[in-house]
Amino acid sequence: MTTATSAPVRHQPQRMPRAVPLTAARLLRIELRRNPMPWILPLIALLFWFDSYRPSTTQPPIWALRTFWNMGQGHTIIDFGPFVAGLAAWVGSRDGRRGIADLVTATARPRWAAQLATWAATAIWAVGAYLVFVAVMFGVYAHQGVQGSPPWWWVAVGAVAVTAFSAAGFAVGALFPSRFAAPLAAFGGFLAMVMSSQTGFSHTSGWALILPTNSNGNYQPLSGVFYPYLPDLPIARVMFLAGIAVAALGLAGLPAGAGGPGLRRAAAVVMLAGVAAAGTAVGLAGTARLGPHGMVIPALHDAASDRPIRYTPVCGQSAGVPVCLNPAYRQFLPDVTAALRPVLGEVAGLPGGPARAAQSAGAYSSGEGGAGAPMTISGRPPVLRMPLGSLNLPDVFGGTTAQFAGQLRLLSVHAFAGAGAGPGTPAQQAVQAVLLQGAGVPFAAQPGMLSSVGLPSWAQATMHEQATEQGKNHTPAPASGPVYAAARRLAALRPAARHAWLAAYLGALRSGQLSLAQLP
Amino acid sequence: MTAAGIHRPPGAGHARPASRRALATLRLAWLYLVSRRALAAVALLVALGALLWAALHGNWSVAGGAAARQLIPLVIETGAAAVIAVTTFGPFGDTERATGRWLPWLRLGTAVLLTAAAAGALAAGAAGGHLPGGSLALLRNLAGMTGTGLLASAALGGAFGWTGPMAYWLITEGALAGAWTTPWIWPARPARDLGGALCAYGVFAAGIVAVTLLGARDSGRRPAPE
Repeated sequence: MTTATSAPVRHQPQRMPRAVPLTAARLLRIELRRNPMPWILPLIALLFWFDSYRPSTTQPPIWALRTFWNMGQGHTIIDFGPFVAGLAAWVGSRDGRRGIADLVTATARPRWAAQLATWAATAIWAVGAYLVFVAVMFGVYAHQGVQGSPPWWWVAVGAVAVTAFSAAGFAVGALFPSRFAAPLAAFGGFLAMVMSSQTGFSHTSGWALILPTNSNGNYQPLSGVFYPYLPDLPIARVMFLAGIAVAALGLAGLPAGAGGPGLRRAAAVVMLAGVAAAGTAVGLAGTARLGPHGMVIPALHDAASDRPIRYTPVCGQSAGVPVCLNPAYRQFLPDVTAALRPVLGEVAGLPGGPARAAQSAGAYSSGEGGAGAPMTISGRPPVLRMPLGSLNLPDVFGGTTAQFAGQLRLLSVHAFAGAGAGPGTPAQQAVQAVLLQGAGVPFAAQPGMLSSVGLPSWAQATMHEQATEQGKNHTPAPASGPVYAAARRLAALRPAARHAWLAAYLGALRSGQLSLAQLP
Repeated sequence: MTAAGIHRPPGAGHARPASRRALATLRLAWLYLVSRRALAAVALLVALGALLWAALHGNWSVAGGAAARQLIPLVIETGAAAVIAVTTFGPFGDTERATGRWLPWLRLGTAVLLTAAAAGALAAGAAGGHLPGGSLALLRNLAGMTGTGLLASAALGGAFGWTGPMAYWLITEGALAGAWTTPWIWPARPARDLGGALCAYGVFAAGIVAVTLLGARDSGRRPAPE
């Protein structure tokens, strides 16, 4: 018996660890050069300009408003995603369409690995173009002096969404190689986005918040101005979309020709991991609750996101009262001072009349649209605190200066009458109507104003309360009934007598102890 | 021996029976349809008709006004137009162009037949519920979108013909949201509007002419990108 102790050690030839990455990099470079995605980018650029950028230019220069349509409601994704899915399906079906699947299966590299390089090239072109287009759009916004901070998290969601579309389209092409793979992938993308919009508009909570077109409760104007955009929901969306991308790529590696058994098992694990990530994200979105600054997902929430953004207000004067706004709302200062002037002039000298008016942040509220916080008068000296974000700001979603002024006056006198977050007592409603008329809103126009969009729910409640008394529930009723009868009596007094009565009875009115019959 | 004295090919003296000629024509048309995957296209069009039926029967609609309610039927019509557009893609290129004078007629016939099949499938699907604008608007929208697809095929290649209807849908969606009324956005016009119909059927005619005379870009001397 011999031993091997004296046998010379056989050195294994040194591996070349860099060979595989280099080969992969070379393959990727070839695919990048041959990829058809650049051919379609001019068309996408045109559509991006038409559908994402052009409508946004009519909005005021505040990031959350300017980007509501294209980022908040996901139109940049709608412009990119389906086309990317179609092109990726065309690229993914290449080997099958040309009948060379068997040929490439016999090459040195597993087919799935080569397909991943092909997909990566498509995704790099698509995501790169998305980021460039968004960067150009944001650059134009910045040049136009848009105020607040950009919604960076939504950009990340868009980039991952484009990646997911490319992966899903590629999988469709790889699994069903046909000339119809591209149009069907694009059609599926459009249908998915339309259905996502349908669900997004109607669902304010639950799993549907995961949809990138759903702006409910996560894209209101206080974000980026008073508080940072809460990243909770975007993080869940990134996880969801990345999970879809990973699952689709794993799916492409499952067919028999994709590689050896080990590789196919790995593809199955990858696919399951993707499905798990997407499912977890949907579950997380289901736990979201609406906080004062947006959607909060407890498992993802960072308290640092709740810190307010510091700012130096811009101020003007209205009837001798300082009126201060967040600098992002600088362009609305003349409208606000003009709207408040008749109200502040009317209540000057009365107890509780505001010595100052200041914009407040407001709060997110699903039930109130964006009007989660009421306008209040509080403190010593009294300060009128105005959340402006949800009102019909001039030139925002069709809002006009007259509508904005009317709403601001209504909310101010509502706060002055002490009605709080509800419709108030009939006496408070009557005094509110009188003060409004004094501020330039005639009785006849008041029911219509109460029904206008953007007001807190008490406005609708007030209108319905007054209409119910006449048996009318659903349309703005004429300004009649006991409330308006009392208001007309009070309005018929001489200004000095009305002022004196208000000075004497404001305390009782605000505490809700005054009835309609006690009005003069 | 030379062939100098032969003026007619052998057998040319005997006229082929008309039935054989008809059979040959049918066979040519059939082979052309097969090369364009027309049967698969018809199956997809039927599936899209079924999808439209399900959408209307299930009251799928995007929240909003009358314009928003059109979006899902329009997406399905877009899908049908995209399917028709990619059937123009031919794998044979110059070889096919050199074979005879029938090619334009085959292109024309295929495009018209498939558009008719799409109209039939979608009209049947429209029986599932209330379709905004009715069958008249459906026909107009489908014709116009098919026209954009055929034009895109002629310009970009049959494989990319689907981009035409998809791009048009995206423009229409933005235009509907902005309440545009130009006849070039024909889905925004009433079903019996003459301007919208002229534009839609005009685009369809232009697409048919382009595909008949030029063919899809990748089927001849003008190679498509890939």
